[in-house]
Amino acid sequence: MTSDDTIVFIVDDDEALREALGELLAANGVRSVPFSSAGDYIGSSKPDLPACLILDVELPDINGLELQRQIMQGDHPPIVFITGHGDIPSSVRAIKHGAVDFLTKPFSDTALLLAIRSAIAQDRETRAKRAELTLLKQRYHELSPRERDVLPLVVSGLLNKQAAAELGISEVTLQIHRRNVMQKMAASSLADLVRIAERLEIPIQHSRRMGGI
Amino acid sequence: MIAALHRTPPILVSLALAVGLLAYWLAGATIGMLAPLGALFFYARGYLLQSLWAGLFVAFAGAAVTAVLYPDAVREAALSFGASIAVAACIGALIVRDPSRRGARDAAAHRQAPGHPGGLGAVPDDVAEGAIHPDDRAAIAQAAAYAFWTGVPQVTHYRLRQPDGSYRCTELRAEPGYGVSVDVDAMVSRPDDHWTVAESLGRTAQAVQAAKVIESLHGKAWAFDAAGKFTYVTPAAQIAIDMALEDLNCRLGEREFIDGGEVGWMRGVHPDDVDGAAATLRHCLKTGEPWNIEYRMLRATGHYVWHRISARPTRDGEGHITGWFGTSIDIDVYKKTEAALREREKHLEQLIDTVPAMIWSMSSEGRPIYLNRRIMEVTGATLDTVKAPDGALSLKKMIHPNFWELAEQTFTKSVMTGAPYNIKYLQHRAGGTYRWTQTRAEPLRDEAGKILRWYGVSVDIHDLITTQTELNLRKQELTRLIDLVPSFLWRLTPTGAPNFFNRRFIDFLGIDESDHEQSETERYAAALKAAIHPDDASRVWAEIKDCLSTGRPYAMRYRLRRHDGVYRWMDGRAEPLLGDDGSIIQWYGLSHDIDDQLRVEEALRESERSLRQLVETLPALIYCATPNGEPIYRSEKLREFLGFGLTDKDEDGQTRLTGTLDAIIHPDDLPDVKEKYGRSLATGAPYAMKHRLRRADGEYRWVETRTAALRNAEGEIVQWNGICFEIEDQVRAQEALTLTQERLARAAQAASLAELSASIAHEVNQPLAAVVANSHACQRWLVSDPPNLERAQKVIERIIRDANSAADVVGRVRALFRQTAQARIPYRIDAILFEARDLMMEEAARRRMRIEVEVEADLPSLELDHIQIQQVLVNLIRNGLEAMEPARRGVLRARTLRAGDCVRTEVRDTGMGLGAPDKVFEAFFSTKPNGMGMGLAISRTIIETHGGRLWAENNQDGGAAFIFTLPVEAKADHDQ
Repeated sequence: MTSDDTIVFIVDDDEALREALGELLAANGVRSVPFSSAGDYIGSSKPDLPACLILDVELPDINGLELQRQIMQGDHPPIVFITGHGDIPSSVRAIKHGAVDFLTKPFSDTALLLAIRSAIAQDRETRAKRAELTLLKQRYHELSPRERDVLPLVVSGLLNKQAAAELGISEVTLQIHRRNVMQKMAASSLADLVRIAERLEIPIQHSRRMGGI
Repeated sequence: MIAALHRTPPILVSLALAVGLLAYWLAGATIGMLAPLGALFFYARGYLLQSLWAGLFVAFAGAAVTAVLYPDAVREAALSFGASIAVAACIGALIVRDPSRRGARDAAAHRQAPGHPGGLGAVPDDVAEGAIHPDDRAAIAQAAAYAFWTGVPQVTHYRLRQPDGSYRCTELRAEPGYGVSVDVDAMVSRPDDHWTVAESLGRTAQAVQAAKVIESLHGKAWAFDAAGKFTYVTPAAQIAIDMALEDLNCRLGEREFIDGGEVGWMRGVHPDDVDGAAATLRHCLKTGEPWNIEYRMLRATGHYVWHRISARPTRDGEGHITGWFGTSIDIDVYKKTEAALREREKHLEQLIDTVPAMIWSMSSEGRPIYLNRRIMEVTGATLDTVKAPDGALSLKKMIHPNFWELAEQTFTKSVMTGAPYNIKYLQHRAGGTYRWTQTRAEPLRDEAGKILRWYGVSVDIHDLITTQTELNLRKQELTRLIDLVPSFLWRLTPTGAPNFFNRRFIDFLGIDESDHEQSETERYAAALKAAIHPDDASRVWAEIKDCLSTGRPYAMRYRLRRHDGVYRWMDGRAEPLLGDDGSIIQWYGLSHDIDDQLRVEEALRESERSLRQLVETLPALIYCATPNGEPIYRSEKLREFLGFGLTDKDEDGQTRLTGTLDAIIHPDDLPDVKEKYGRSLATGAPYAMKHRLRRADGEYRWVETRTAALRNAEGEIVQWNGICFEIEDQVRAQEALTLTQERLARAAQAASLAELSASIAHEVNQPLAAVVANSHACQRWLVSDPPNLERAQKVIERIIRDANSAADVVGRVRALFRQTAQARIPYRIDAILFEARDLMMEEAARRRMRIEVEVEADLPSLELDHIQIQQVLVNLIRNGLEAMEPARRGVLRARTLRAGDCVRTEVRDTGMGLGAPDKVFEAFFSTKPNGMGMGLAISRTIIETHGGRLWAENNQDGGAAFIFTLPVEAKADHDQ
């Protein structure tokens, strides 16, 4: 765990605690940015790095749980909640909504650091997946319209002949399209292409087999 | 001889002329012609006289021509003839001018035919018919005719025109002059004359003869015998009374007339007069005394006419009465005139006596002759009192002594000179007072101008004089007023020429009144023209001209130059005085010196302007309203804020105030504002209110409005002045603050133990978390290689700080408990109950519940911890409200009352009631899903520490009751 390629955001209204957490993270070689309120956090620009969000439940403007709900829709770093007096319903709710951990003050450094590490790892993974998907999407966008028509038919498991008939084109033409698709999507095999299509959530449009059985 | 000649027939004249001519012819001298020519002149009149004169002239001329033309004998004869003619002419001239002859002519004229006014002898010659008033002509003619035919003298009035054209009443008396000519031969009746003369005259022949004489003189006569039996009556008279002799003598009764019987003639006498007439006649018949009587006689026309009847007896040689003769004269006009005159005289007398004037007369020498009744009544004077012993006028008793001399002089002068007498003096009154009287007297003169009498009238003019005196006084007063009034009064003619300035105005303008060359109007006009400031002159004259032509009132301000050359501002006003026909008679005007006032006004305006600017520029919203709240002013800033002016929101049907309030006040605040503002308006108390005001852009902003009444010296409200601050930011801050405070207050006052403990935990955990985190960091810095001591040191400092902070929290909590245990002061439980009620009111309202509080009067103060007891009450109330929650409505009743040496407080809800009333006070017992079950336990502890008791029970009609008592003499139980 290096301090340069990761970052921890601390959102807590208590300055003393913000300082203490910053200090603790700094002592463990983790870079942190403190925010005194949810508004401050939302309003600031954040570096595009694997990150973790340490969020106090009791905040002056909006509740930490509410903030979690708000940012859940978009990409956001994994959240580690801290609270002065945790109750079970809130912690359950927080975890359900994807929080990495729910720590009650005062908490041990190991628990915190563990949670942070876990969160950053999770974020890194998420980011990698997100990057891959972005690449796939980019490749998909590079396909010609016809190729985009061909792709779902191919991954649906249709034979070339069937797919060509489906599109009203010749089998040879379909094969050319299919080869182009494989190339453009950087799929090493048909199975690979199917996996990619799955990632891209391309719906399987037609399955003769289904009808055939 | 002349008279004989006058009556000579023309034949005699011709004869005389012929004799004269013959004598002339025989004598050869023309002298003989003179007598016949003279005779001709006597006779000739009218055109005959003129022809006679012409003949003489022709003859004379002929003689003269002949004498010139022919020589010798002929000339001599012609000259002789001419001379005779000339002598004849002279004689003729003398005869024509003869006065006796003239009288004869006039007498002849008087016998002219009746019906012609000229026949009235008494009418002067120069009176022509045209001079008599047309209305009177017929009456005059009739009277004249009557006089002519009957010979009865007539007295007639008619109006006669004077040389100046006026008519004057004239009395005409016409009396006949008779030529006496009695036909003696006709005295004896002829046999056929049966109805005029008795068949037998008897012994009355002499009487009848006398009667005939009278008849010839008088036209009417009669005769009767010694027994009163008529033997002759003038025929005309018989016709007039329509009675023949037989009728007159007809015996109507048994007895003869002389014996008292009635005869025919008596029927022709008026019934009122007949007995008297008959009685006197009988008496006269017996005694032979002349019979003179007046009675009314019935004419054939049916009218009674007054007659005067006279009869005389005739006697024979022995003195025995042989008969009577007499006549009757129509005196009807006399009688009636006399009656009318008497009536008139009486009327006049009454008039003179009753006219409200004091009338008197005196002789030409100044001796009093007559005083009318009024003068005697009013002044108390009589003829005797106004006469000096010598009969001269004495005014001493009539006049106030101050006027004696004056009256004497005036009177004497008038009597001496005949000048009309006119004097005013104080005249004595019957009551002893003196009153102003005006006396005038004028002399009555005869034709020659000699004074006959003085006629005077005295008029009481006391009231007039008094009124005049009063009027004079008032006039003086008015003049003084007009001159003293500190303004300039003036008057203009309808054309605008000034005809009156009051004294002050004259002095102000410095008009020189000694200059008499100009008229007053010219002087005034010139002075005014010169005095008006040149800058104002044109508009002033234009305005005056316009007002004069239209008649509208004039009002203007202009500068006038004072006599010392200083111009002063004037406020001039004028109004026209209109006549009955609406035309302008005069203009009355007033100019008031407003120079000082203007200066003051200017200063005031300046001051007002500056004040207004101040008000307008102040960074506040300022407004003014009438005593009843109607807005009358809004400052510029307020207008800007609201986006409309004072009158923009005026609508029919509602006041400006209501319209404005509805438009600018936030609907939620409106009822409060209206209520409070209305109360201020009603009571005059200052108004202060925070509310939301609508800004021009539609946004509501919080403002604080303060309004206070401006009062006059009497303390009446003249105006409301208000100021309005925008306190939006303040309110926002305040709201936040209040919110926090409320939270804190709620936490402190109404917290359950759970909230309290959670709060304490949070307060403590926060620094503890920091301490832990810092400790780990510190440890990390220390174990790193090399150890980062600097950072460790810094972190340790923070650890100490945060640990202290945690300790402080704990300390504060402890202090809180310690403090509350000590703060027991005397307090009234009812006051706390109200506080708790107020705290929970909002919550109750939210739950749609009501809290009713009932407090016994005169509860004692208790030694207690106000906050803790409040907390207990809040707890109990909240519990009650929560218990009623399922019903979503209900009434919570809280009451406190004295119970022996305790004060008992109850909180009763209308909820479900309690299953186990004792169990609820156990810790951690809760009927609520998220309750910790500590509230009632803490409450019971608090009450018990106060030496009281808290318990619960179920109400008989449902719901639970929590009751606690507190001892009046609180036990000092701090330690528990």
